[in-house]
Amino acid sequence: MAGKRRFNYKTKEGLQGYLFILPWIIGFIVFTAGPLLFSFAASFTNYNVTSQMDFVGLSNYEKLFSGDQLFWTSLYNTLYYVLFSVPLTTVGAILLSALLNRDIPGMRLFRTIYYLPAVLSGVGVYLLWMQLLEPGTGMVNTVLAWFGIAGPNWLFDPDWTKPALIFMKLWSVGGGMLLYLASMQGISKSLYEAAEIDGANAWQQFTRITIPMITPVIFFDIVTSLIGGFQIFQEAYVMSNGEGGPVNSMLFYNLYMWQKAFEAFDMGYAMAMSWILFVIVFALTIVNLKLAPKWVHYEGGGK
Amino acid sequence: MRRFKWVPALLILMLVLSGCNGFTKGGSGAEKADAEAEEGKITLDFWTFWGSEIRRPIIEKIIEDFNNSQDEIEVKHTFIPWGDIWTKELAAIAAGDPPDVVINDINATALRGKNQQAENLSKYLEEDDISGDFYEELWNATLYEGDSYGIPFNTDTRVLFYNKDAFEEAGLDPEQPPKTWDELWEYAEKLDVKDGEKYDRLGFYPMFGVQTDVWMMNADNVNFVDENSEVKINTPAKLDTLEWLNKWHQKYGADNINSWKAQMESQQANPFFSGDLAMLVQTPTFYTQIRDYAPDLNFGVALLPEKEPGNGHTSWGGGFVAEIPAGAENPDASWEFIKYLTSKEAQEYWAVKNFDNVANIEASESAASSDEFNDNGKMVYELAVEAMPLTMLTPTSLVAPDYMTLVNPEFDNVYLGKKTPEQALKDAQAAVEKEISKK
Repeated sequence: MAGKRRFNYKTKEGLQGYLFILPWIIGFIVFTAGPLLFSFAASFTNYNVTSQMDFVGLSNYEKLFSGDQLFWTSLYNTLYYVLFSVPLTTVGAILLSALLNRDIPGMRLFRTIYYLPAVLSGVGVYLLWMQLLEPGTGMVNTVLAWFGIAGPNWLFDPDWTKPALIFMKLWSVGGGMLLYLASMQGISKSLYEAAEIDGANAWQQFTRITIPMITPVIFFDIVTSLIGGFQIFQEAYVMSNGEGGPVNSMLFYNLYMWQKAFEAFDMGYAMAMSWILFVIVFALTIVNLKLAPKWVHYEGGGK
Repeated sequence: MRRFKWVPALLILMLVLSGCNGFTKGGSGAEKADAEAEEGKITLDFWTFWGSEIRRPIIEKIIEDFNNSQDEIEVKHTFIPWGDIWTKELAAIAAGDPPDVVINDINATALRGKNQQAENLSKYLEEDDISGDFYEELWNATLYEGDSYGIPFNTDTRVLFYNKDAFEEAGLDPEQPPKTWDELWEYAEKLDVKDGEKYDRLGFYPMFGVQTDVWMMNADNVNFVDENSEVKINTPAKLDTLEWLNKWHQKYGADNINSWKAQMESQQANPFFSGDLAMLVQTPTFYTQIRDYAPDLNFGVALLPEKEPGNGHTSWGGGFVAEIPAGAENPDASWEFIKYLTSKEAQEYWAVKNFDNVANIEASESAASSDEFNDNGKMVYELAVEAMPLTMLTPTSLVAPDYMTLVNPEFDNVYLGKKTPEQALKDAQAAVEKEISKK
């Protein structure tokens, strides 16, 4: 009797759970899974949204890999961006949160200031940065000039456009910082006290206690920002007028895909591109998940 | 007690569902149209990207005039930002619920016709041939296999603005603007005021305001991909152009050019207003900025200089059409409205109030003598009308709609010193030919 009741209760609870997430499930099936499958099917066609959708086999994929120079350019640009921006923003956010995780007067103010850029987002910020990065009159080069550095032509020089975007991204590490800060504050003080008694200095405490204790958050941050990094679009769209910047140096994968879809109306081709990106990101995420047990420390041994 | 545990969940579900319901109903033009239809009026949803303080009241006045002029059709204006309008429209067409009339890019009209994104207007034109009302180049851009898929609305061209005071200072005749590329170079040399490596006054730089392509059109009057899908990038005239442009680039140097370009982007601080830039190629509408930010500037306008005497002062422009998206509910009513939009009356109103070039020839010509313009305004507008027949469009290629992504980086490579003009054009030609052959 008691057993049955408990089973019942569990089933009920499960059902209630599903009921609560029902809006999400419906949304997922209708707005995510449906289009996902559709785009997969359409990637084997010459779909152009309005007038044609004929099966063309693998020809979209063939064209991408064999004859499309811009596909490789855009993939290179995106990988470049991800390769630099993900580690830099992660390290930046950790260092910043370590600095802000101290008990000194006025800390709240600093935390607010550093978090602020994460609140601002979108086109306004990009336009602001376009002004800041202006080679002649922009703030960035003006400040560099104070130190005797002749700043580069940021958004006009193909060698500097991607660094400029990464630099801009670093400005908004506040979002990641918040996660790290919360996680750092959750670390038990007794660990540090014990370490201090054992004679560990601040650096040792940071590398031996703080870092291991926040590895779950680092892992989360790396996975999400890796995925986010591959999706870079808006920045390049706004800052290069949708064209890809000098010598296509800001032609990121998604920007090129957008051009194919909405300017050339070659939607089938764009969908094939999106699936290649999906496979790349999926593979990287799997690698990440496989590597995770080697370095991510979960307290209590949980997974 | 336990049964009541469901209550909050149900409440939430109901809220969510009612939310969904509201979402599907709200904002649907079709249903609004149904409601109005009961009163015997057809409601049209008209999408534009004209939401600025200046343009919005003007287009809304035109709509109001149309609504008042008859009692069968009621047009409603929907402003959708520039960055969204055509992707939204495409999605709406695919969903089977498009707007009734939309303003779209003239250069891609044939491509949209080919893809059946827009309604074929031939059946209306057979009854009501208005094709002769518009500049030929504009009209031709709307045709796919001889059928029109949009009616030209507004357009633009490129003209040379020059500073008369600077001309006088440099010993040039302010009434004799440069007519050829050589004169342009020669005048610019005289107008330059150099201070060490920097310039206090820049005579002219051809790639402020316009890009490489405009000068190439000016030189040989042939688009990069012509109407027969022949690639015409590596031509002698285009090579001359690239060499000539590169000469300008080397003369001033990337650092100077970039820092000047940055200033041009902030409207008020445009160096042309302060007299620091003596000549500039811009759209005629640029005049409104001079009027607003530099009312005392003593300036003149001229046709784009030609490559050599007799080559032709070819300019370049773009523009927009009014079209009926495929699957629109009341195409006949939409056509009536489009006819009004592109009629002399509405076009002239738009031209005068916006200081914008319009597609209707009669409207353009009568706008040029409008009493609403002052002397400078008249001077600019008259020249713009003069430039219109010389203005070339570069319609999107049906075989490689996005080939410019392959071409522009090659031009960049030349200015960055990474490739010779010969090599760059050869590579661009080959890349575009390859792109076309893939189809």
